[in-house]
Amino acid sequence: MLKQPYPTVMKPYGRALVNLARERPEILCLSGDLTRQTEVDLFQEQLPERFIHAGMAEANMISMAGALARRGFLPFVHTFGVFATRRPLDQIINSVAYPRLPVRIVGFMPGVSSPGGPSHQAIDDVALMRAIPNMTVIDVADATQIRAALPAIADVPGPVYLRLKRGEIPVIFDEDHEFSLTRAQPLTAGSDLAVIANGMMLPSAISAADALADAGVSVSVVNVPVIKPLDTETIIRTVSGVAAVITVENHSVIGGLGSAVAETIAEAGLGRPQRRVGLRDTFAEGARTAPHLFRKYRLGTQDIVDCAWELLRREGPPPQVPAVPAAEGEYAPV
Amino acid sequence: MTALNELTTARYADLIRLRAVRMVAPHGFGYLGQALSSAELFATLYAGHYDPGRDSLVVSPGHYIIAAFAAAPEAGLLDEEALATYGFDDSALEAIGTERSPAVDLTGGSLGMGLSGAVGFALADRLQDRAGARVFAVLSDGELEEGQVWEAALFAAHHRLGALTVLLDANDSQVDGPVSSITTVEPIAGKWESFGWAAFDVDGHDPAVLDTALRAAVADPRPAVVIARTSTKHGLSVLPEGADGHFIKLPAALAEAAIRELEARLA
Repeated sequence: MLKQPYPTVMKPYGRALVNLARERPEILCLSGDLTRQTEVDLFQEQLPERFIHAGMAEANMISMAGALARRGFLPFVHTFGVFATRRPLDQIINSVAYPRLPVRIVGFMPGVSSPGGPSHQAIDDVALMRAIPNMTVIDVADATQIRAALPAIADVPGPVYLRLKRGEIPVIFDEDHEFSLTRAQPLTAGSDLAVIANGMMLPSAISAADALADAGVSVSVVNVPVIKPLDTETIIRTVSGVAAVITVENHSVIGGLGSAVAETIAEAGLGRPQRRVGLRDTFAEGARTAPHLFRKYRLGTQDIVDCAWELLRREGPPPQVPAVPAAEGEYAPV
Repeated sequence: MTALNELTTARYADLIRLRAVRMVAPHGFGYLGQALSSAELFATLYAGHYDPGRDSLVVSPGHYIIAAFAAAPEAGLLDEEALATYGFDDSALEAIGTERSPAVDLTGGSLGMGLSGAVGFALADRLQDRAGARVFAVLSDGELEEGQVWEAALFAAHHRLGALTVLLDANDSQVDGPVSSITTVEPIAGKWESFGWAAFDVDGHDPAVLDTALRAAVADPRPAVVIARTSTKHGLSVLPEGADGHFIKLPAALAEAAIRELEARLA
């Protein structure tokens, strides 16, 4: 694993999709008027005969993709996460998920990574997609994982929702990283606390665990790129070995990773206290920059540390997370 | 703040442009193209038709809220000083319109929903006997790709909501490029007419023509749409040829040149 601040790359998804599509002629690329923003301008340039401008018409795009899948194509549908999951929810359910068709719905700009206000902030996409039978839900953390995940999801028999950060993508994992659709990824092993995170929040979870470790807290960090179907075995094993659990998600605390972990803990009867770091059942707002929103809505590294300190009833003030200076083109969490 | 009656509509439109440039400039990029294309449309509406005390205003594409904000001081809907906070952290003036946005009755950043809201307002006015109340809805041509717009159009005509007027900014701009390159929405007027609406297809940068069309739209007993043919670069010659209509990059030097051009015209 690399150290913070992480180097970043642009368009890892867009390149990986083109590479996969060269080997898989059945892949089609659909865009809902956000072609460059969802990195598929590369696909449009290089495989124009398999690129479809669906326009700003998400309901039609999804139902059409379902029918394309019925005829043997493998459609990858692209727009922002909000528009991918909210507008065509009924179409996803009836035209794609219920018939269990291999449509890949790719939603960019998760949670408060967008300063564009509630209409552009996908804070409930995981909850919506997780509630749909047959749906696989994935929130990957870095460019290496994106590259590895694409070939892996190609052959999932049913629909997949892939949640992706927009813009500069950090590189956290080494080249030889293996992506698994069935196994969560324990990164450290500890005995006091489990920090379970995914997607954009993984760097914060790692930083928080480092700060806590320096203050004498032994932390298990687990990355959970596949939220559904959840690797409950790894969750249960990890949680069984610690006193308390914190989940961290760039999403509402209702219905996402935190809920999935809580359900697992409860059903297994583990009885460990859990705190969910995430948006606390609130819409966010428009702002100039996303880091302001991560701070304001308490999704920062320090917020995870403070939460852990209180949860573990440690004495004294919580350790302060040192700011990681990130130069242009580098990525460090808030 | 200048009183409305002292402003010609053309100057009002340039004032909207100047304020929009100043609102976008500190950020270096933003939804300036929307203000440039709809400046005359907002100016004509506010100068001669829209009465905030009586009517409702819907700005369906929240990205256009910049134009509504820039036009609002003359209508007494917003302090001019507040415009300087546009788009900043913790500002009430978010760059994409939200539930918190002042100066309008309804806006939002998920496109294609505004006409349904306007239909709801017109229906409420009828049910609550608000005689003379009108509903104006600003829509964009890109939004015509969303099916919900046409559901609302069907409903409005069926229920003869004649108090409803749509101002459609046909600037042929969406994120991926010209609307006409993504989806054929023409003939726009023919579509609305076939749905039972009165349609007026006019030059959206000519205040006199817009004013006449709005008068006719308001007078028509059917719901009516004024299709304003516009450009996202209109009224600002310093913009480069390929400037992105949806999200214009406005580095400091270009912003200064834009402010100089508009200030000179308003002098």
